[in-house]
Amino acid sequence: MKNKNQLPALILLVIGLVVTAGGLFLFINRFVPMWSFSHKYMTDNAIFAMLGILGLFLGIVALLLARSLRKQGQEVPSDTLKQHMGLKATARISNTVIYVLLVIISVIWLAPFFCIVVQSFRVNPTGMTRYLFQNPDAALKEGLTIRFGLDNYRRLFAGDFPRWYLNTFIIAVVVAAVQTIIVLCMSYTLSRFRFKLRKPLMQFMLILGMFPGMLTMIILYQVLKDVGLAGANAMPGLILVYVASSGMGYYVSKGFFDTIPKSLDEAARIDGATRAQVLYKIILPLAKPIVIYTVLTAFMGPWGDFVFAKYVTGVTPEAWNVAVGLQQWLSTTTNISENYTMFCAGGVVVAIPVVILFMCLQKYYVEGVTGGAVKG
Amino acid sequence: MKKYSDLEYLKLSKWERFKYRFLSFFAAIPVAIGNLFLGIGKALKKAGLAVAGEAKDIAMTFVNGDWKTKLSYLFMGFGNIARGQVLRGLLFLLFEGVFIAYMILMGGGYLALLPTLGTKGPYQMTERIEFMPGRFREVVKTVTYADDPTIHNSFKILLYGVLTIFFIVAFLYTWRMNVKQNKIAEGILKSGKPLKSGKDDLRSLVDDQFHKTLLALPLTGILIFTVLPLVFMILVAFTNYSSGHNGGETGLFHWVGMDNFRTLFSWDVGGVNYSATFGEILLWTLIWAFFATFTNYFLGIGVAMIINKKGIRFKKVWRTVLIMTIAIPQFISLLYVSKMFTLNGLFNGFLMDLGITHTAIDFWGDPTLARIMVIIINIWIGIPYLMLIATGILMNIPADLYESAKIDGASGWKQFSKITLPYMLFITGPYLLTSFTGNMNNFNVIYLLTGGGPHVNLSNGAGNPGDTDLLITWLFNITQKGFGEDGAQYYLASVIGILVFIVVAFISLIVYNLLPSVKNEEDFQ
Amino acid sequence: MASVKLTNVKKVYDNNVVAVHDFNLDIKDKEFVVFVGPSGCGKSTTLRMVAGLEEISGGTVEIDGEVVNDLQPKDRNIAMVFQNYALYPHMSVYDNIAFSLRLQKMPEDVIYSKVTNAAEILGITEYLMRKPRALSGGQRQRVAIGRAMVRDSKVFLMDEPLSNLDAKLRNQMRAEIILLRQKLNTTFIYVTHDQTEAMTLGDRIVIMKDGFIQQVGTPAEVFEMPTNLFVAEFIGAPKMNIVKTDLVREGNRYFVTPCGAKIEVTGEKGGLLNEKNVKGGPVLLGVRPEHMKLAFERGENTMSARLEVNEMMGSELHLHVYTKDGARWIVRVPTIDLTQEQRRSLVNGAQVYITFEGKVMHFFDPETEKNLIY
Repeated sequence: MKNKNQLPALILLVIGLVVTAGGLFLFINRFVPMWSFSHKYMTDNAIFAMLGILGLFLGIVALLLARSLRKQGQEVPSDTLKQHMGLKATARISNTVIYVLLVIISVIWLAPFFCIVVQSFRVNPTGMTRYLFQNPDAALKEGLTIRFGLDNYRRLFAGDFPRWYLNTFIIAVVVAAVQTIIVLCMSYTLSRFRFKLRKPLMQFMLILGMFPGMLTMIILYQVLKDVGLAGANAMPGLILVYVASSGMGYYVSKGFFDTIPKSLDEAARIDGATRAQVLYKIILPLAKPIVIYTVLTAFMGPWGDFVFAKYVTGVTPEAWNVAVGLQQWLSTTTNISENYTMFCAGGVVVAIPVVILFMCLQKYYVEGVTGGAVKG
Repeated sequence: MKKYSDLEYLKLSKWERFKYRFLSFFAAIPVAIGNLFLGIGKALKKAGLAVAGEAKDIAMTFVNGDWKTKLSYLFMGFGNIARGQVLRGLLFLLFEGVFIAYMILMGGGYLALLPTLGTKGPYQMTERIEFMPGRFREVVKTVTYADDPTIHNSFKILLYGVLTIFFIVAFLYTWRMNVKQNKIAEGILKSGKPLKSGKDDLRSLVDDQFHKTLLALPLTGILIFTVLPLVFMILVAFTNYSSGHNGGETGLFHWVGMDNFRTLFSWDVGGVNYSATFGEILLWTLIWAFFATFTNYFLGIGVAMIINKKGIRFKKVWRTVLIMTIAIPQFISLLYVSKMFTLNGLFNGFLMDLGITHTAIDFWGDPTLARIMVIIINIWIGIPYLMLIATGILMNIPADLYESAKIDGASGWKQFSKITLPYMLFITGPYLLTSFTGNMNNFNVIYLLTGGGPHVNLSNGAGNPGDTDLLITWLFNITQKGFGEDGAQYYLASVIGILVFIVVAFISLIVYNLLPSVKNEEDFQ
Repeated sequence: MASVKLTNVKKVYDNNVVAVHDFNLDIKDKEFVVFVGPSGCGKSTTLRMVAGLEEISGGTVEIDGEVVNDLQPKDRNIAMVFQNYALYPHMSVYDNIAFSLRLQKMPEDVIYSKVTNAAEILGITEYLMRKPRALSGGQRQRVAIGRAMVRDSKVFLMDEPLSNLDAKLRNQMRAEIILLRQKLNTTFIYVTHDQTEAMTLGDRIVIMKDGFIQQVGTPAEVFEMPTNLFVAEFIGAPKMNIVKTDLVREGNRYFVTPCGAKIEVTGEKGGLLNEKNVKGGPVLLGVRPEHMKLAFERGENTMSARLEVNEMMGSELHLHVYTKDGARWIVRVPTIDLTQEQRRSLVNGAQVYITFEGKVMHFFDPETEKNLIY
């Protein structure tokens, strides 16, 4: 290495290599004992942590090294250039700090999900445990073998879970469709039309939103019960309640519509279009991002509604949605010891499709949030 | 307090300026409150004048109108039909018919019972049952509305009573519209122009009146499923509706006026200290909302900035990692994470394995620790969303602002505090406010993480409140279990709900008026 | 036949701000009328009221004798070109132009011939399949015009169509609009803030300020006979020189006495002053820069002045001078009339002498700012 500035990077690289190698060794040692020592200090979790963070660290360092290696073919720096490179060195070090930070952040954010996936594959024991892969005191406890497998998933689909999943899926689809229409009607009108009651209406809805949503739950449940849409028939009742007041969530969509110039509307009206034609011939084609955003958020909503669904469906398990069902498994200690891992499996099954959908439509979601949420 | 002119202000030292700004901020609060009441007063006065104006207009239209108009006062829509607008006329007539039928069949009855909320409640009846030939037994049975229709049901009375009042208001409004249309129609005909036909009306519904068509469905939904229940629940606060007196099977409930409010603000009712509990929970709610909002906000901006920094690669990867956490349903994350931090949970296991502690830390058992954990986990949930918003805004700050600052010699921190931060605060001001009030009512996070517990300090409070309980989770527990012979005290929940609303509305209105966004719009354009 | 008549048209906004006061104008069929004035004078608002995009607070608007106050824009048979073109971004140029025709349910072959015809006139045939974002500003402008052209409407409205173009393109498009007008042969209402556009394009010009009409007239009329100070200063570049001085009456003859000189009012204006029996007294004197004369030595009726700024415009110099009484004048001098030496002497601080002829003067009342003659 010709350049002095690469020394810190080089040192970090060596440290990283050593630690990672050590961690790898210990990890393999778990399964193919090459060296035995006290378990007290080196258990899975610890090894794991080391592996993860340091391994990534290694990658970053290697990157930095590669970059600086690329700049090998430079002339002898003059005075001003030396100053410049001093600046670059500090930038590179602060960038390194940032990379480390970002890696740590990513690990922290993803850790719970990693844990839940791992635990969903653990077949025995089924209760909540303090460890991920292996119990450090396993040797002391008799007859406690830790096994991994697909049993949780099998049990999941044998029970009520598929029913819950179907319920929630249907609710989500219907809600996504209807809520999008309602929200778009509301936000388009508030964005484009200037009528006398417009400002009072928006202020009124603002005030309505200040009441805790919990309050209306009781009476809505009673009314639904009277009409027969609670308990076993809760699904249409839930859908009705979700979509009916969804008009109040117009804020982000309205902000988006506000960014479409009004002169487009005006040109179309002069060209002979009625206001309805303006909406579906001109504005809607341009509103694709916000439509997708609204559909996406509307779809994701019912998967997580736990309070109201529980209230309305009561004790008829066939009518539960996934949120209520999964929560049920963790509600008492006996339930926990039996169903904890199944809960993890259920969580994974629920999360995966939603995450995949979200990732595919991520672009629109981001556009919706950054475009509409802060301009409206 | 003294107001400085611009030039005088410029002469002040930094400390004096700070003092001045600080004092004016707080001096502005009573002014804002005063303006609030003034505003309400003015609005009321305007409403009063409007009502008086309407009454006068109605009288004058009758006096000046022709026979078609006068008949329309009794038969809605008559004037429209007589002048050729059959569609409108029929609709009016239909509405009037439906209304009258409803009032006679149902509305009138419920309205009459509204002041008392029912007088004849369910009662016990003893029956002699022959359970074996020749052997009788006396059985006590509760006779309810389902068995005997003359029994009153307070819940239904209140619900349909309110609905009837809504209906009456709607009818009055429609009747007024009917009268007005007669007046306008007469005016148009007098000037020789033709009236709009039914076809014209239908056509205008997709054109200039399109907004009415679009708003019809959403507004109806909101009216029936939000406004109506809210009005009902507000009224419940003045009754003793509970699971012990639910108006139907377990007995009637009745009006109690301001009793519930008095109870809540009293210090000792039967050994239970309501207002102290309320005060403590309110305090924690405000503290929680403050920390939840601002930690997320500043950390979110921080994360957005470091990802956005020049020279950082794989920006999309970092952002995607964070955004993925938004996709996962909150209840799964929260529930799982809450279990992770229990005594037997993963996190304690992790700490003990690394030898950092020897006994498990009771995260959820110690009140202070639980509160801190709740805030921290909320950060975990909230940062990705805030990072998105912050990224969007950061990208929109004109680059030449930074370039000009760099030329002027501003360091990185100065650039942040003088350009980035003010711009952010301006754009997200309203968002911060809604975020704050939203966090005050953030049920999911608290309930799923702690259920409101632990119940260490407030254990003798009303409704069994916990140390991390927000007003809203406390409210929820009251509606679930309640205490005492009343069971779940819905009325108490209503009272608390109303008070929550008042607090939130109060804070919102004041902050909104003090926000720079409202005042300094031009500075940023 | 498409005349437009505005009678007592008024526009008041919700917060009681009056944007347009009592606008009266009779536009003849096939006339090209320009509304011109500074920002916020109400010209766009008036145009939009004619189009139906703004509610008319008072008065009536008639198109072809029919009162259109309550008619929707699409029923008024008008076409409009917007300042920011307002092209539909998701449609091709062809579809943009064909949009209104399709709404009228015209058969596709008729639409085809109309659109291609318009495209050819405007020179955009090769862009017909492109989307607006792939076009330059000038091309988009033409598409916007094309969209308005195909409708064969009675009135053609244009709201500052050239404002978003660079200077060179603007000149070019101006010429094209004149050609377009000849081809289309309908009534035009054109809004701009640029007085050059107004002068070159309009048959008649309506000058507005703060919601009031200042003057209506042909370009020649508003240039030679401005009715008030605002119009006099607004029309013509550089601005007319306005100086406070005295109008002296001696029998039948009138004189002005700016900064020591005494110049008689001659020609038509002198006669008109006599006719109107205008009294002497303080006046605001207006002389256009092109009517000023430069001299290098004292002469009859000259004023002594110092040169402040010398703007080289190519074929002429614009000299900014100030006289001893503090008044500022701009003098336009053709460079060809000067010798090299004279040109070199025109530096900051140079002593020069300016004057003007008796027939080029304008007089305005110092309080009402109205033209004393017209």
